[in-house]
Amino acid sequence: MFKYIFRRTIYMVPILFGVTLLTFTLFHVVGGDPAVLAAGKHATPEQIELIRQSLGLNRPLYVQYFQFLHQIFTLDFGRSWSSRQNIWTMFTQGVGPSLSLTLPAFLIAEVLTISLALLLARWRDSLFDRVTKITCLAMLSLSSLVYILWGQYVLAYKWDIFPISGWDPSWAGRWEFLGLPIVIFVLLSLGSNILFFRTVFLDEIYHDYVRTARAKGLNESGILFKHVLRNAMIPIITRVVQEMPFLILGSLLLESFFGIPGIGGLVVLAIQNADFPVIKAMTFLSAVLYMIFQLISDVLYAVVDPKIQLR
Amino acid sequence: MNFATFSLKLSVQFFIRKGKAMLITTLSLLLTLSMGCTRKNKDAENTLNIVATSNIKTLDPIEASDVYSSGAVAQVYEGLLHYHFLKRPLQLEPLLAAQMPKVSKDGLTHTFTLRQGIKFQDDSAFPEGKGRELTASDFIYSWKRLADPNNKSEGFWVFDNKILGLNEWREQVSKGKATYETPIEGLQAPDRYTLIIKLKKPFYQLHYVLTMSYTSVVAKEVVERYGKEFLNHPVGTGPFKFESWTRNNQLVLTRNKDWSLHTYPTEGEASDKAQNYLEDAGKKIPFVDKVVIQEIIEDQPRWLNFMKGNLDYTSIPKDNFDSAVQNGKTTKELNDKGIHLQINREPDVTYTAFNMNDPILGKNENLRKAMSLAYDTDTSIKKFYNGRAITAQSPIPPEVDAYDPNYKNPYKEYNLSKAKEFMVKAGYPEGKGLAPIEFSSPNSTTNRQTAEFFKQNMEKIGVKINIVTSSWPQFTTKITEKKAQLWGIAWLADYPDAENFLQLLYGPNGSPGPNGANYKNKEFDELYEQASHLLPGVERDKIYQKMRDIFTKELPWIPGVHRLSYSTYHNWLKNFKFHSVINDNLKYFRIDTKERGEMKAKL
Repeated sequence: MFKYIFRRTIYMVPILFGVTLLTFTLFHVVGGDPAVLAAGKHATPEQIELIRQSLGLNRPLYVQYFQFLHQIFTLDFGRSWSSRQNIWTMFTQGVGPSLSLTLPAFLIAEVLTISLALLLARWRDSLFDRVTKITCLAMLSLSSLVYILWGQYVLAYKWDIFPISGWDPSWAGRWEFLGLPIVIFVLLSLGSNILFFRTVFLDEIYHDYVRTARAKGLNESGILFKHVLRNAMIPIITRVVQEMPFLILGSLLLESFFGIPGIGGLVVLAIQNADFPVIKAMTFLSAVLYMIFQLISDVLYAVVDPKIQLR
Repeated sequence: MNFATFSLKLSVQFFIRKGKAMLITTLSLLLTLSMGCTRKNKDAENTLNIVATSNIKTLDPIEASDVYSSGAVAQVYEGLLHYHFLKRPLQLEPLLAAQMPKVSKDGLTHTFTLRQGIKFQDDSAFPEGKGRELTASDFIYSWKRLADPNNKSEGFWVFDNKILGLNEWREQVSKGKATYETPIEGLQAPDRYTLIIKLKKPFYQLHYVLTMSYTSVVAKEVVERYGKEFLNHPVGTGPFKFESWTRNNQLVLTRNKDWSLHTYPTEGEASDKAQNYLEDAGKKIPFVDKVVIQEIIEDQPRWLNFMKGNLDYTSIPKDNFDSAVQNGKTTKELNDKGIHLQINREPDVTYTAFNMNDPILGKNENLRKAMSLAYDTDTSIKKFYNGRAITAQSPIPPEVDAYDPNYKNPYKEYNLSKAKEFMVKAGYPEGKGLAPIEFSSPNSTTNRQTAEFFKQNMEKIGVKINIVTSSWPQFTTKITEKKAQLWGIAWLADYPDAENFLQLLYGPNGSPGPNGANYKNKEFDELYEQASHLLPGVERDKIYQKMRDIFTKELPWIPGVHRLSYSTYHNWLKNFKFHSVINDNLKYFRIDTKERGEMKAKL
């Protein structure tokens, strides 16, 4: 297995190389001129030229590209052109708040939806199943903004259950503000998760081994837990693990509506501001995260399914 | 087994298997809910709670180019001059200067005397952590920082080509041939408290510029101590001290107990007494112990927080406007909550610029006039501003010298038949023979909508518009590279002088400078230069009005609107008088904490 992990890690290098090349090229082809942006509304050609010099924008492209590679190796991504913050600091300071929203919300949502999906699979085609299915479809078709606006207006403003928005950097204080965004995150995951997991379980429930188990006299819940859940682990792991990088990268809408100082808006803001250093860093980090979790999910396959061997 | 027994069994089994995870999540959820119910009551504190509707980017004066960064900077840092808090039109007053400067007859030498005994706020960058006294050479250092090309300050334009030797010094620094020790002829400190500024040519806007955050004073020790992190560690001479800043969340400032530069003004406008703006006349300021600036980008949470009393004042979001204001007054709901409305005219202008180098638009005055006559400004004000704007007749907005409320631009009325006549004169009757014109716009929703509205208007006279949207950086790059044909943009006053708007049409300021339309008119440029030698007054206003008439005759832009700002504030906030050019206003605001406590319980 370690050989496998090692080999996969080596494979990552050319892929990451490709990512850096693509990001770099895209930015230089379609991005606005950052020197014009930095010089501001009263710019003169002389000022723009000075800024171009100090940002290193008039060096040959390949030199700029090698500088970018150097930054990646040293994990020193420099400073944002728009906020002038150290990018690594921006990332590390934002990850905590982002994760304290997404991680608990994600765990609650997964446990809740997997249990509900099991119930639906047990009573497939019952009234309970149909009503839940329709509700899920209805929930899916509503925009996430509707949940946020409603939650904030009704639960926070009218009923006073939660604060409207805000943040407390201390661990004890932040939960007060995380309540409502967590509830909304869970609500947002319900529809698609339940429908997905229900299909996964139903796929399994008609297999021969289930019939055999029934014939042997095992009860339904025993079958569901001992056999079906275990066999359905592969698609569940795929889905769960692949969502992990997005947890780290935060939730743009929830963070911006609830004032959570996470990194959800970092990339969007950076693109709006042609903030190339931040775009570079975040694209690179996202690619790394994505590949790491891809690897983790492959390793987990082998853990839950003895038939899969990592070579 | 019925459904209920099954689910119970299932959950018990599940709990045993996934017990730990479930326990943790359930606990955190419970904790969340319980904390929500026992929210701390902070209302008794003498804190001013305000909002920034976009992120504060920096607390370094030379980098503070946006409204909220410079607004925050102005509470901690100070400059030589500032505006009187109450008087309108705006009036300059000395702040760190002991009195208004002595200006030589030729207008070239401005001599400032500093107040003595002003101290920087305490910080570990100073010996024994005690702030030292401010001297004239601190200003020279601060302004060299502004000019230093390595700092890439967006604010250098305030001194660009104006102070003797400063541009040369900047050039030398970029080549590594000068340092901060290299003297500059135009900036001299003959003694601790005297500062002499020598100009290349008369520039009477200098005094306005000296109120701006860019020119406020910093201490060399602090800049050197924090290096690149200086933007996160502001230490000034101002009435508030930096306490903490969580980016994308909130900035907290506390009262500087050692500050005693001045007191609350004892006089103001004629109507100020009746409006209770003079109740605190002569009292020691700042009134509040703490200022919390929350960064809330989205409209709904901002408005709801205000309505709950968590913010002391805010502007009204577009979607909440109708429920808040009717017929220019607050609605009953707001009235009952003790919320007041304040309407101010903004010194700004929106406009649709023509690229004057464009072979079609730039050469055809009649076509430009036809397009201006076909634009329905009144409807656009209703549609996009909830009526919160007035039609702009020229580039000169209200609240600045030379603004004439009675001036009517003959091409600024909505008159389709007249517009069609001009289309004939332009050589394109009903648009025949005219190629589609490209309208560039940033890609935000509102910008798209306004562009769409412009397109619909132009269709009525047969002018076809293609809308091309792009990100803000691409949009500005397109303008500076003269690749845009037609675009909509706005300008907000840096200082209350028409010059700040007319420079947008001054020939030598062409792209990449602020004259994006690349308008050139010899007479206009000469008048601009002539006005720069004159002090504010009737004579200068006349020149500005001549320039306005040239603008109207040639119409390089379709002037759009001047916006009105609608601020709402709670009754417990006292002395709330707003002006978008005045930055250092928080020290004058007072909170009636008792009233806030009582009112908030009812909200």
